[in-house]
Amino acid sequence: MQKGLIQFTDVCLDYRLYRDRSVSIMETLMNVFGRRTTRDWFRALDHATFQISPGESVALVGSNGAGKSTTLKLLAGIYSSTSGKVETSGRIASLLDLGVGFHPELTGAENVFLNGALLGFDQKKMIDLLPGIAEFAMLERFMDTPVKYYSSGMFMRLGFALATSVNPDILLIDEVLAVGDAAFQAKCYERIFGFREAGKTIVFVSHDPEAVRRLCTRAIWLDSGRARMDGPVDDVLGAYLDANAGRLQTSASSAAPREWGNREVFFSKVTLTDGNGVPARSFRQGDSLSTKILIETREGKKVDNIILGFSIHRPDGETVLASNNLENGEPLLSIDGSGEASISVTPEILEPGNYLLSISLTGNSTDYHWQDNFYPISLLGDKKSPPLKISNLSVSGLPPK
Amino acid sequence: MTGDLLLLKSLVEKDLKVRYKRSLLGFLWFLLKPLFSMVVYTVVFTRILRFGGAIEHFSLFLLTGLLPWNFFAASLSASTKTLLDNQKLIRSIYFPRVALPISAVIANAIHMLMALGVLEVLLIAFGHTPGLSIVLLPVAVLLLAAMTSGFSMMISIGNVYYRDVAQFLEVILLAWFYASPVIYPLGEGLIPVRMEAFIKFNPVAGAMEIFHSTMYYGTWPDLWAWVSLVSWTLVILTVGLLIFKRMEPSVVKEL
Repeated sequence: MQKGLIQFTDVCLDYRLYRDRSVSIMETLMNVFGRRTTRDWFRALDHATFQISPGESVALVGSNGAGKSTTLKLLAGIYSSTSGKVETSGRIASLLDLGVGFHPELTGAENVFLNGALLGFDQKKMIDLLPGIAEFAMLERFMDTPVKYYSSGMFMRLGFALATSVNPDILLIDEVLAVGDAAFQAKCYERIFGFREAGKTIVFVSHDPEAVRRLCTRAIWLDSGRARMDGPVDDVLGAYLDANAGRLQTSASSAAPREWGNREVFFSKVTLTDGNGVPARSFRQGDSLSTKILIETREGKKVDNIILGFSIHRPDGETVLASNNLENGEPLLSIDGSGEASISVTPEILEPGNYLLSISLTGNSTDYHWQDNFYPISLLGDKKSPPLKISNLSVSGLPPK
Repeated sequence: MTGDLLLLKSLVEKDLKVRYKRSLLGFLWFLLKPLFSMVVYTVVFTRILRFGGAIEHFSLFLLTGLLPWNFFAASLSASTKTLLDNQKLIRSIYFPRVALPISAVIANAIHMLMALGVLEVLLIAFGHTPGLSIVLLPVAVLLLAAMTSGFSMMISIGNVYYRDVAQFLEVILLAWFYASPVIYPLGEGLIPVRMEAFIKFNPVAGAMEIFHSTMYYGTWPDLWAWVSLVSWTLVILTVGLLIFKRMEPSVVKEL
């Protein structure tokens, strides 16, 4: 088999589903004694078949739960298929999650050696690789520091440098590139593009159509565990985005703004502002989003133990972030007539796009006031500096000085 | 194969390095714990129950049994966590996962060996000079470690599915301790004969007997001890490996 080749033949993979993950022996005994079984299976991959030739850069696209990450885990050898055949040849580097093998108490260098052993490299090889890893991660001065003192950025940088230092034939990438600052991200992309130029096979999973277009020439659209479409990246991505747009419209009812509650306590004024207190509805990634809320009670009564909830939803209604003061371990609100509250989040983890914000006031099993999907906001992407060369730059339309 | 050995070596090193970070007494704890229990048992069995008086240097006899037992018990307890503690790692890169329970056992075995070294010095100081039979001790250590690995593999898998396993193990280990010739000798008439036959069926009884005879008595171990240790080791290690290999694909998804 030629190095870098990937062959997926009729692959199925089943997961066991749980309602509650912590199953006790008691429950199993009940099942043994003829009660109905709690086993449920979920087929993450359903007779998926495709082939990737050496040197291809292929994106896996599809909605959540379509089987993209499962496919990567099968390729990395982490899962074994329930049926069918997964064949790969050559060394595989997986960027599924960075720095997971790191032990917080060990130093950067010690962790590099330990991870090298996990990847099958001996000490001598790792001694050769170490300086390059430290340099790429910009951590030369910190290699003898336990990684628990690293910032999350340093941690990720070391993870990326290590995972890509081993000169793979196949590179598996799962959305990990959204880490580090813009400069380091550009560096990561550069290294990945370098792999592509060097004729390595790349399998890329991302929800960011721009990143997919930039890196990949071919895309496979996974839908409910099957390869629904396979072809040039623009065709597949276009078809996928079209189908998805339709889906968003049909399910739009779930994300329609809704307001209800007995209004014993209610929102009288809600203002969304950016980090500087300026009212805004669009935010940059990394900016903080503040919600200033004026709360009043009916007839100026005093109401205790109020839970203030806050959630952000995708346009299709899927919740991406939700919290409340109770869950956060903050004191419950007491409002005597009227009061003010504010919520501030920094939605770094969200992908750029449009979102809906919901807020709620609830008490002990009473709904005071809900404003579901009430406040549309949009999150703008960080300006990544793509490693693209601009050949002809001309500026026009500026008035002469 | 060399890759697997390297992986084991690195995991053991990590285990040893990490375990005693921020611990003042460090490795000494592996010696201090059996020493403390030795003091307790010595008081109980010579002052209160007046049972250990029959054995010369009862506290040294106790240590000879407590060190391998503590190794066994500590390894099994640690194995409940090996897969759970490493779940992110297991779900993110591929490596032979069986190295996790095995490396935990090896790390504990290294502690035991160091403690045994100290014990041997004490034994010699009190006149229990070992005979030629001491050459058999490394064989027993190896077999006991292999058997312990077999148990560890089963337990590590079992605890992923049922967290009850860890709780259950604690109780079992307590009963197991008293059902093993750790703090009492066999064949001295201290235990009812019918009980002795039963105790000899215990998987760790053979190992305990060999530790006592080679280190404390300086005699050649009885044949039954070897038959028991070798056959139990073969059975437990085989079953452990089979279960681990069989369950590994589903455990990865289950974690």
